[in-house]
Amino acid sequence: MGSVSGMLRTLASGSKHLAIKRFTLRYPEQKLKFVGDGYQFDPKEGVGIAGYRGRHILYHDKCTGCQLCSIACEGIAEAISMVKVDKQYKQNKKGIMPQIDYGKCVFCGLCVDACPFYALFMTDDYELAAYTKEHLIYTPDQLAVKPKYQGTYEIKIDELGAYHDE
Amino acid sequence: MGVEMGRERIPGFELEGRDEDGMDRGILTLSVGPQHPGSGHFRLIVKVDGDMIVEALPDPGYVHRGEEKMCEYRNYIQNIPHLERPMIADSCGILYPYVLAVEEICNIAVPERAKYIRVIMAEINRCIFELYWLGIYGIFLGHSTMFMWPMADRELLIDLAEMASGARVTHAYFVPGGVRNDLPDAFPEKAKRHLLYFKNRLKEYKDIFYDNPLFQARTVGVGILSKEDAINLGATGPVLRASGVEHDIRKVEPYDVYDELDFEVITMKEGDSFARAYVPWLEMYESVEIALQALEKMPSGPVRTKLGPNPKGAVGEAFKRVEAARGELAYYLVSDGNPKPYRVKLSVPSFREIPVMAHLLKGAKLADMPSIYWSMNYWPVEADR
Repeated sequence: MGSVSGMLRTLASGSKHLAIKRFTLRYPEQKLKFVGDGYQFDPKEGVGIAGYRGRHILYHDKCTGCQLCSIACEGIAEAISMVKVDKQYKQNKKGIMPQIDYGKCVFCGLCVDACPFYALFMTDDYELAAYTKEHLIYTPDQLAVKPKYQGTYEIKIDELGAYHDE
Repeated sequence: MGVEMGRERIPGFELEGRDEDGMDRGILTLSVGPQHPGSGHFRLIVKVDGDMIVEALPDPGYVHRGEEKMCEYRNYIQNIPHLERPMIADSCGILYPYVLAVEEICNIAVPERAKYIRVIMAEINRCIFELYWLGIYGIFLGHSTMFMWPMADRELLIDLAEMASGARVTHAYFVPGGVRNDLPDAFPEKAKRHLLYFKNRLKEYKDIFYDNPLFQARTVGVGILSKEDAINLGATGPVLRASGVEHDIRKVEPYDVYDELDFEVITMKEGDSFARAYVPWLEMYESVEIALQALEKMPSGPVRTKLGPNPKGAVGEAFKRVEAARGELAYYLVSDGNPKPYRVKLSVPSFREIPVMAHLLKGAKLADMPSIYWSMNYWPVEADR
């Protein structure tokens, strides 16, 4: 049985990695770059636009308070509830907008598919950790803020193997 | 717990055939699980005589979620996110037959490009799953390099899946009528780069795992499943093919565009734990080949048929099956004409491995249990649904 040669081959194969670049992403300092501007949906064509499905962004000037996102979320995560907003909008007579509980959201993006007014999209922001459950509930005003997430690292492949780099 | 409680009354720990003076001469019943002692959330009652397993009684159901009943209260689109939860490591694989069945029952046409995208995603997901499983198999045999390497290489493919679908693990990418969104423009080129590099990496796996005498000592000749037993016990997927049965739904009953792609069904005749670990490795080569071919052949055009928000099914039933990473996965769907399905039945590969597992563990050594158990490709959450 070639157990000695097998052992040597194993060691040789493993020690090759001393010369190869490390694949690990050093996360809080290095952040991944995503394609596009977050997942979006075009209701006219009935098809989505590729992008990362992170935290939502709500456009107050487009939301009509139709509750379709909330209805879509029923039976999935029940994360969306409609709440009153202080400001009055012309297209939103009832003055209600979605409030999203990220303690429940599963980031499937089917609420984005349900919105017929280009008002609810998703963004690259996935860093939603909070100290309390209440802080995971994003009000319509918080959802309107564009996230600051900036990822620059992506996987590079060359003769040194695969590694993350800018 | 009372003071007077004897050893035999502690659940999962009892001695049979005890002498009058209390000396045990018999069989020890052990409860492995259900709280994840390396088995997943699943209880395995093993009766051991010394070091030999006399009987193994798998006891599934600890993580039953009622997926099938949940389906009856949600419409066809809302069912998508929760149906991939039983097997998130292969989320495209478990959603694939559901989407095919809904398309049949609601009579939805699928654009040609969407079919290719689905095949690419399903094959990438198959590799993601096999690497995840291989890593865990390695760590339970005490081979920590075998855990680190597949987990790192999996990132290459997760990166591709994330680029296409927008999520790293639970993609929710397939919908009745195609896929959620078109592939980004940079995807084909990046996919080719990653897949070709991954294929080269796979060659190194043979050196460090499969030719490794330590891995071979734990797996070769352990838990041999004969061809007849594999068929009689209803094994499926890599377990069946490792016993020499050439059966693959992608060939037997091609769905989407698998009949236009050129690939081989991998079989081995040994039927031991080593063969069950070796077949998925060879299948990953085929998966990469399928994905590369599909990328070449993929036409341009729309990717999703526009549907109403609440598609209604015609009265009738549909049965669709696909080859998921673990084997044959089938959905049986009954519709009574409402927007919600009347009945959804999942036939999952993990559940079908339970009798095989009981058969193989009988007569094996207790120390070989992880080697046999993990080679079965059994996932408790999927089996319990």
